Amino acid sequence: MAKWGMVIDLDKCTGCQACTTACAMENNRLPGENWQDVLFYTEGTYPNVSMKWFPRPCFHCENPSCVSVCPTRATYKDPEGGFVLIDWNKCIGCKYCQVACPYGVRFFTDEKAVVQPDIRDVFPAKDDRQWDPPYKGPQDDPSRGIGIQPHGVVSKCTFCYHKVSKAPEGVADLDEDIPELKEYVPGCVRVCAPKARFFGDLDNPESYVNKLIADKRGVRLKEETGNKPQVYYLSGGAAAAVPGLRSMKDKS
Amino acid sequence: MINTSKSNLVFIVAIIGLIVTAALVLFNLVSQGHAAFNGSNLGLHWTFPIVVYDYFLLTSTGLAMIASLMLIFGGAHCQPLVRRCLWLAVAGLVGGVSVLALELGYPVRAIWAIPTSFAVTSPLWWKVMFVIAYVVVLLITVNLLRKPGEWPAAARTSAILLLLAALGVTGIAGVVYGSMTMRPFWSSGDVPVAFIFESLLGGLAFAIFFSYLAHGFSQERMSAPLRDVLTGMLPKVFALAIFVHLMFVGARALIGLYSNAEGLQVWQYLAGTSLFHIELWAGLVLPLLLMLSPGLRSNAGSQTLAALLVMISLFIARYDYIIGGQLVPMFKGAWAPELLSYAPSFTEWMLLLMAIFLANAIYVWGEKKFDLSWCKQA
Repeated sequence: MAKWGMVIDLDKCTGCQACTTACAMENNRLPGENWQDVLFYTEGTYPNVSMKWFPRPCFHCENPSCVSVCPTRATYKDPEGGFVLIDWNKCIGCKYCQVACPYGVRFFTDEKAVVQPDIRDVFPAKDDRQWDPPYKGPQDDPSRGIGIQPHGVVSKCTFCYHKVSKAPEGVADLDEDIPELKEYVPGCVRVCAPKARFFGDLDNPESYVNKLIADKRGVRLKEETGNKPQVYYLSGGAAAAVPGLRSMKDKS
Repeated sequence: MINTSKSNLVFIVAIIGLIVTAALVLFNLVSQGHAAFNGSNLGLHWTFPIVVYDYFLLTSTGLAMIASLMLIFGGAHCQPLVRRCLWLAVAGLVGGVSVLALELGYPVRAIWAIPTSFAVTSPLWWKVMFVIAYVVVLLITVNLLRKPGEWPAAARTSAILLLLAALGVTGIAGVVYGSMTMRPFWSSGDVPVAFIFESLLGGLAFAIFFSYLAHGFSQERMSAPLRDVLTGMLPKVFALAIFVHLMFVGARALIGLYSNAEGLQVWQYLAGTSLFHIELWAGLVLPLLLMLSPGLRSNAGSQTLAALLVMISLFIARYDYIIGGQLVPMFKGAWAPELLSYAPSFTEWMLLLMAIFLANAIYVWGEKKFDLSWCKQA
C-alpha cells in the first residue's frame, strides 16, 4: 500500500503561486481560502530586508493531531495512501481539528468571506452546499471532503485524492513528465513551472521522493510536534544541515 | 424568605430578555450563518461563544462539586446551600450548552455522531461522555433533593457520583486545551488541575452571590443555618479558593512573560490590557483582601461584592485564555498580522446575554418551584 508524500524544493520555488491557483481551480476553492498557499514573510529592517516565501499544502501527517482530536472520527487517516481526509457527513463543525493543526491548513467553511464581494452570493447554491460555481470539477465525494463543500464543516487539501487514488498500483512516483501518469498528479505538482514539487510513494524505497529526501536532506516543518508530515522540504544539499529534532527516536 | 413579587419580576425580565436575545441571535444566524461571529480562518477558530459555553459549563460543574462536597461531608446546616447550588448547576449547564448548540456547525448531528464514534483519542469525545454522565447524575441528584426535607439515603451515593462526573468534565475540559502542545499558551500539565480549582472558585462565588440575591442581599432575611454557613466556614474557604486560583494565574502569567516559546508573546500583549489587570487586581486581589479581613469577611456587602468581582474575573480569565491561545496565527505568513485582533460581534454578545437570561429564568423558576431556601431549623 502506498504512502503518498510530497517533496518541495525551496531552492527551486519561485513563489509564483501557480500551485495555489491550480489548487483553487481543481478544488473549487473560495477566493482567499487556499488549501494550498504560498506564504510570504518579510524579515529585517530597511535597507536590509528580505522577502521569503513558503509553499504550504496540508502535510497529510503520519501522526496527525487533527485526526486524534476529532470527536466524531470525521477526520481520518486513509490507510490506502496515507491521505488525511474529512468525512463531511460526520463533521459537526466543532473546529477542534483547526485548533489542533500546528500548520494552520484547515478551513471552516462558514467564516466571513476573505475576498469581497462574497462569491457565494454571486453564485448561490441550489442545495445544502456553499455555492454553485459556474465551472466545477466533476469530482464529488463528501465522505472524503471532495467537491463543493457543505455549510458548517471543515475543509482542507486532499492531496488531490480524486486523482492520486486512481493511479496505477505500485507506481513509485507520480510525475507530470510521464504522459501516462500526468492525469494522476496532484494539481499543485502538475503545474509547478520550475518543477519544485515532486510526488511519490514514501513507502517505496525506489521512489524519487525518497531519493530526494535522502540525498538533499529533506526536512519537515515543526518536527517537535510529532505530527511527522508527509511533505518534505529541500533547502540546499550541503553536508552540514539543520536537524529537525534533537532525537530521531519515535515516541513508542 | 424569598420575596415572591421580586422573584416574579426577575423571572418575567429574564423571559423577556431571553426571547429578545434569542430572536436576535437566531435572526442573525439564519441570515448570516456563522459569519455572524467574528472568527476567522486566519486562526481564531474558537471565539466568544466557546468562552461563554466553557464559563457556564465549568461554573455548573463547580457548583455541583460544592454541592456534592457538602452532601458528602457537610451536615443538615448545609441544606439551603446544597439545593441552591444543584439547581444553579442545572441552570448554568442549560445556558452553556444552548450557546454551544448555536455555535456548532451541526449540533443535531453531534448528538449521535459523538457518542457513536468511540473516538477515544479525542479529549473532546471524553468531555462529551463525561458531560452526558454529569447531566444524568445531576438530574438524579436534583430529583432526590427536589422536595424540602431530610436528605434521602441515596443522596450521598448520588453526590459521590456527581462529584466524580463534575471532576471528570472539568479535568477533561482542561485536557482539551492543555494537550494542545502546538499552542504553548494553552499547553501545560497543570491546566486540568487549574480548571478544577477555577471551577470550584466559580461555584463558590455563584453560591454566595445567589444566596444573597435570593434573600434581598440581607443576612437578616436568611434562615439561621444559612447565615451561619455564610458567616462562618464559607468565606474562609472562598478566600482559600481565591488564593489558590491566584497562584495559578500568577504562575502562568510569570512563566508566559518570561518564556521565549513561540505563541507566548501573547502574554506581552495581555499584560498590557486593562482586562487582564481588572481580572487580576479587581477580580482576585481585592476579593481576597475582603475575605481575609476578619471585619469584612462576614459582611453581606463585602461578600456579595467579592463574589461578583470573582465571577467577572473568571469570565475575563476564560476569555483571555481561550482567545489568547489563538492570537498568534499558525503559518499564515503576510496574510495575517503577527498577532490577530479579535472583539466579539453583536451576535456573540447577544449569545452571552441569552445564556445569562436563560440560566436566570431557569434558576428563578426553580427557586419558586422547589423552595431552595428551605432548611431544617436548629
